[in-house]
Amino acid sequence: MVMKKQKVISCGSWMLVGACLIGLGLSLAYAAPPETKKTDTKKKLTGAELYAINCNRCHPERYPTEFTSAQWKTIVIHMRVRANLPAAQAKLILKYLQEDSGN
Amino acid sequence: MKMRSIILSVAAGCAMGLLLPPRATAAVSDDDFNALKNQVQQLNDQVQELKREHQQDGVTHNEDQMKIQQLQQQVGETQMLATNAAQKAEAVSKVQSAYPIPASGPGARHNFTMAGDAEVQFGKTAGQHSGFALADFAPIFLFRANDNILFEAGFDTTLQNAGGPPGTGGGANTTFSLSFAQLDYLWNDYVTVVAGDMLLPLGTYNERSAGWLTKIPDAPLLDDQLLPGSGVGVQLRGAVPVGDNGQSLTYAVYGVNGPGSVTGSGSAFQTPGDPASGANLDLGSNVGILGDGTQQNLHSNPSGGGRIGWFYPWKPHYDVELGLSGQSGEWDDAGNHLWSAAVLDAAVHIGPYFEVKGEYANTWYGTDDAGTVHPHGLWVQAAYKLAGLNLDFPVVNDLELVNRYDHENDGLGTETDRYTAGYVYYLTSTLLFEGDYEFLHSRGPAALPSNLFVLQLSYGF
Repeated sequence: MVMKKQKVISCGSWMLVGACLIGLGLSLAYAAPPETKKTDTKKKLTGAELYAINCNRCHPERYPTEFTSAQWKTIVIHMRVRANLPAAQAKLILKYLQEDSGN
Repeated sequence: MKMRSIILSVAAGCAMGLLLPPRATAAVSDDDFNALKNQVQQLNDQVQELKREHQQDGVTHNEDQMKIQQLQQQVGETQMLATNAAQKAEAVSKVQSAYPIPASGPGARHNFTMAGDAEVQFGKTAGQHSGFALADFAPIFLFRANDNILFEAGFDTTLQNAGGPPGTGGGANTTFSLSFAQLDYLWNDYVTVVAGDMLLPLGTYNERSAGWLTKIPDAPLLDDQLLPGSGVGVQLRGAVPVGDNGQSLTYAVYGVNGPGSVTGSGSAFQTPGDPASGANLDLGSNVGILGDGTQQNLHSNPSGGGRIGWFYPWKPHYDVELGLSGQSGEWDDAGNHLWSAAVLDAAVHIGPYFEVKGEYANTWYGTDDAGTVHPHGLWVQAAYKLAGLNLDFPVVNDLELVNRYDHENDGLGTETDRYTAGYVYYLTSTLLFEGDYEFLHSRGPAALPSNLFVLQLSYGF
């Protein structure tokens, strides 16, 4: 039996495209205006900034106080492997988390 | 003469007395005298204060001397212990192997941590009774030996209705499955060695699919049905930072046993020529241990695969990630046919409120009786946090709207389109109340059930 390929352009896909466009528009509309102040482009990112950049793209950020310093070390190794974080960035993130970690 | 000298002396004395200036005391006033007296009194007070301080210093000095003596005694004891330890180490070294295995290191601090997630789900399939569908507890055990070695294992413990014909009282099943169990060795800053049962980096969903991360309870069709979730083998992976803005290039290469065959044959269906018997391709069960206890690969060669990715953030919460991954290897026991997959994944974040991501997978495998089968599919998911509207409404600000479009073709005559619309309500950052409605349009011999409504409470820990 030869199956004919049916090309289905569902209503759902159009709704999704619409939702994407609406979301994109809202994000851009409510985004903070570009900074006019000149910033040093060579400034290295802090551990807190790297934490926001890398971790928040998959899950809400956890508070540093939620785990102890030793637990953060374990968790950051786990996430370095799972999310393929560069070692140097993982070390800065760990330092930031350990500075305010719980006892 | 003598008398004369005396008289002259007396006269000279009188003359000098008259010529000398008046007595000094005569020039000091009472005020000056009192001021001087006060100064003398103050000096006297200061001398007394210095005396007291000197006495106190003396006491402190005595205490310091005692402490110094105690410390000297402790140093002596420590030196004795060190000497004994050196002697013991020397004695041990005489009985050890000439090539001792390096220890974890003097800085090793073993640590055990548990992370993971838990879910409770309520669902209703169109035309059927609603009910609480499952309770799921998925812990991840993390055991760190030192700064470079981590063992991690994820389990999935699920309670579900046992099913069975109506009225037979099938009861409930508790399934306890190993999602992954892997040993991670951070070889250096750029290479991590992973071995064991690993989540495979075919796309990104596999590795980021915990219940509190996905925003939609059900997995995309292609990740659920077209791609293997895990494999037993070895992997090298790592990342190279590019510049100082957080940009990175990532890679992963691995070898695993790869997919197998349900019946061992290379037939497309479990019963050759009968689509109703189900596909013969088994994506996940080739773990090297057979039902009779023997250990062997189901086919002669392992599968190889990998992923390369590029992550570019231009500022926090604004980033793009692209990845290309693939895997190929024999799947039938005779090793006559290859199963291969190519996956393209992408994710974009524009601000902390909007994200869109998706995957496209193209797979193909040879069969004895149906030629090359060509399963493929894609999904695209968009989400927007209403907090981005700045409405200052507590409930609205904790809501995120989610939409996803799925398409899957199993290559054996079944094709499915699914549109999912849902929400995530953040009770806390890790406790989520999710809900969605799935519009299904599925046709073919393995068509999926009808539309579905799902509510889920997810907790990440």
